[in-house]
Amino acid sequence: MNWNFQEIQERVEEETQGILSAQDLEAFRIKYLGRKGMIQEIFASLAGLPDEQKPLVGKGANELRSRITAVIEKKKTEIREKENQARHPLMDITLPGVAPLAGHRHILTQTIDEICGVFERLGFTVQEGPEIETEFNNFTALNIAVDHPSRDAFDTFYLDKPDPKNKGRYLLLRSHTSPAQIRIMQKHKPPLAVVVPGRVYRPDAVDASHSFMFHQVEGLLVDRHVKFSDLKGLLTVFCKRLFGDKIKMRFRPHFFPFTEPSAEVDISCYICDGKGWLVHSPSAKMSLPRDPKGSKGCSVCGRKGWLEIMGCGMVHPHVFEAAGYPQNRYTGLAFGLGVERIAMLKYGVQDIRIFFENDVRFLEQF
Amino acid sequence: MKISLNWLKDYVRFGIPAERLAHALTMAGLEVKKISAVDGDTVFELEITPNRPDCLNMLGIARETAAVLNKRWKEPIVRGLKYPSKKCTIDVLDKKGCPRYIATLIEDVQIAEAPRAIQRRLTALGTRLINNVVDITNFCLIETGQPLHAFDYDKLAGGKIVVRRAKEGERIITLDEVERPLDPSILVIADAEKPVAIAGVMGGKETEVEGNTKNILLESAYFDPVLIRRASRKLGLSSDSSYRFERGVDYDTVKTGMDRAVSLILDCAQGRVVRRSDVAAAFRRTRPAVPLSVERINAFLGADESASRYKQILKRLGFSVAMAAGGVLKLKAPPFRADIRQDVDVIEEIARISGYDRLPSSLPLIQAAPIQADAKREFRRTISDLVVAQGFYEVVTYAMINPESLVRSRQADLEGIKVRNPLSQDQAVLRPSLLPSLLSAAAFNINRDQKNLKLFEIGKIYLPLGEQDVLGLVIMGQHGRDWRRQENSETDFYDIKGAVEHLLSRGGLKDVQFERSDYAWFEKGQGACVSVEGSSVGMLGKVEEGVLANWDIKQKNVYFAQLDLERIWSHCALKQSYRPVCEYPAVIRDVSLAVKRDIDFQQVKEIAFRLGEEILSSVQFREEYLGEKIPSGCRGMVFSLIYQSSERTLREDEVNALHGSIVQACIFELGAIQR
Repeated sequence: MNWNFQEIQERVEEETQGILSAQDLEAFRIKYLGRKGMIQEIFASLAGLPDEQKPLVGKGANELRSRITAVIEKKKTEIREKENQARHPLMDITLPGVAPLAGHRHILTQTIDEICGVFERLGFTVQEGPEIETEFNNFTALNIAVDHPSRDAFDTFYLDKPDPKNKGRYLLLRSHTSPAQIRIMQKHKPPLAVVVPGRVYRPDAVDASHSFMFHQVEGLLVDRHVKFSDLKGLLTVFCKRLFGDKIKMRFRPHFFPFTEPSAEVDISCYICDGKGWLVHSPSAKMSLPRDPKGSKGCSVCGRKGWLEIMGCGMVHPHVFEAAGYPQNRYTGLAFGLGVERIAMLKYGVQDIRIFFENDVRFLEQF
Repeated sequence: MKISLNWLKDYVRFGIPAERLAHALTMAGLEVKKISAVDGDTVFELEITPNRPDCLNMLGIARETAAVLNKRWKEPIVRGLKYPSKKCTIDVLDKKGCPRYIATLIEDVQIAEAPRAIQRRLTALGTRLINNVVDITNFCLIETGQPLHAFDYDKLAGGKIVVRRAKEGERIITLDEVERPLDPSILVIADAEKPVAIAGVMGGKETEVEGNTKNILLESAYFDPVLIRRASRKLGLSSDSSYRFERGVDYDTVKTGMDRAVSLILDCAQGRVVRRSDVAAAFRRTRPAVPLSVERINAFLGADESASRYKQILKRLGFSVAMAAGGVLKLKAPPFRADIRQDVDVIEEIARISGYDRLPSSLPLIQAAPIQADAKREFRRTISDLVVAQGFYEVVTYAMINPESLVRSRQADLEGIKVRNPLSQDQAVLRPSLLPSLLSAAAFNINRDQKNLKLFEIGKIYLPLGEQDVLGLVIMGQHGRDWRRQENSETDFYDIKGAVEHLLSRGGLKDVQFERSDYAWFEKGQGACVSVEGSSVGMLGKVEEGVLANWDIKQKNVYFAQLDLERIWSHCALKQSYRPVCEYPAVIRDVSLAVKRDIDFQQVKEIAFRLGEEILSSVQFREEYLGEKIPSGCRGMVFSLIYQSSERTLREDEVNALHGSIVQACIFELGAIQR
């Protein structure tokens, strides 16, 4: 018998087109590869062929078999895919997913945790103190004379609750977290490394940057040889962790009754990058000579290029004395910062009242 | 305080531009808040900290500028004054309140405008011009820091000055034309009859120097800072004078300030000095000698500088410095530096002038913390996490509230701590409950169309016994929104109960009970007291409709819970331990009963557990059923009894027997009907 492989090949191609289902495919397979299929037939016919034709036909049959096998595999995949598609219709993957129930912690709580977290990783412990305090802890022990102008910065709400230890005086709502320092020092001996977060109260009229209630984080490190340089180093690490490595910092002499020397810490303004002015403003009315043309003063830092973020200093000897520590044995550093201010700077919140309105559309942003 | 740079240049010469000077002063602790250009002059607005009253004047700033820039400065030249020996009649009755009082009587002055030079200086700083005499007193105040006051001598009754406390009922009309009541806590300057000035605060209208004034009595004094501060606060009146007296003026400048003013008046307004008195109590400010070793300075600052460097800095600041043996500096602060009292004050001066930015920086060695972290704070954090995981949003609300909001919440009976000096009624009382705070936060959101709320606060309430940490929860509206479902169910009682149950059980609390309880702010029959091991830890329930109406909340289903975190903490099992998971299969049998309305599920549970022996592991509620098929006055309950042993596989017959007896007991004891 004469096998025209080219013709067979063409026929196979043609039949392939007609295979639509698994059944068609099976019939096709049996026809060619089955026990009585064409390939078998070709091999069976080898015996009757002249010797010189045998290798040619054998080779042709092998090639045909592998070609058909490949075709079957390809078709099999095609058919399976088609069937799958029929069984599982296409999902509209652009429909919204169903949101899991998820709550939010207030951004102030998150900020407090972030601040405390930096210090905890540096070896500090978090402690707390009461909000209802005595005049002694809030003022006297912190070297703030009750009748001195230095007290002006710590205006205070007094409560209708007599101070049991101080006749004729009343308890108050702490105006800063520093009284917690006194309580901690009265209870523990150095070495001490604590941070104290909490709410504080001052009778300030409420506006975009003032609130009669706000939050502070206070820090205290006391040991035999704490140095002013430690204060600089520690707070530099803190500010860079909180605001990023790129910020510039400066320590500016200041006055707090409970620290000496005292400093305020400024970081470079994140809006104007410490320049004090912003480029591109048609209404550049009040630019100083140093500002380039067409720029306008930065309102976030008040054109100073610096943002004041915390107060700090070396613990005043009078404070150690009030805490009952022996004279000249210890030195310490202390710092305090306003949580709302940090959050406002970090997240660009322009009005402090937003924190206490608790609009859920605000809360769910964090 | 404002200063003028042109004026500053009268005393100290510097070539650097204004901005660089501002930076130098700021970095030395005199913060320049604002720079503005005024009429060919530059004005700095400085923030002078309360410890530096010596800088509340041009000469003080000049001294400071000279120290910072390492330049020389010079004082104004005061012409040689010869005072007559005749005295004024001065009677200082309160010597403690007024340790020094200098009066100078100048006759025949010509009241006119002040010279242009003085006017320009004053206008640059925004001071109102009056006449030559008053302008000169203002000029001297700004220049030297010594407040001065000029009286029209002819209007002083008896030509006499008495420094005394005001008498009860006395009044005075001050220069600002306000009549002010006085009392014995206030120090006044009086003539033979009545107060003519509030000492250190403001002069009286009646003895004011005017166009027709001929003879003036000029006053320069030192008043007790505390007394002036109290008077100024009491009267709600502060002035450039009181600002300086409160902070403390310099004892010596009482005289030099007077001399400067007298010499200017004689130059610009003619007149002649006819009488003068200097009434000084035996009061001297002595500057203590502060010994300080170079070693101590270096150790404190973490620096490594030489004695001569420190000596040089302190000399620039006007300290007298001598070297003693062993690297010790013997120091004396200049007389105007009342703030320098001990070694750390001197160290700050060194640090300030060296420049904080130029001092070294190091990392402290923090020893292993001997103080335990605050465990209660961590517990609150755990609770907060559990609540957040349930989809609640944390709010932060004010601790002080309007007492009226307690009335609105039907909690007027709760006793809050009153604030003695609130700014408004909104802060008049410390909250004794979180309900008003949370309702107020909810109302704020509802007004902004946010009606599906789950809010919580972990904060304090304030009771007569003290402050207490509590957790407050409020739920309303629909939650778990899902577009695949047609309807979302409205919040009900079991949502708030579930929230509380979940966090108590995750908090490791055992024996939690909910007992029906009446609260004025909850709907009757829909409030519960939460107790743990028999003691109350809080409450929950449906907020009463009237309360909601008071808060303008139109939604009906609002649920509130408040839990005392301190008490929960005291019951909390700190140690958790592993309980093996049961290896044997559970047998579940459902029961459907119809019971009378007044039968609680709790009663069913009690019967089941009483009879359930070891093998009843739990009773799970499945469904409440109120359809037509239930007899009236009854409700249907479907629940599952789950039998399981941790030791063996249960036999069918033993479960059936026990289950049958439990169902029978329910029917018999509760009058239930099996369905």
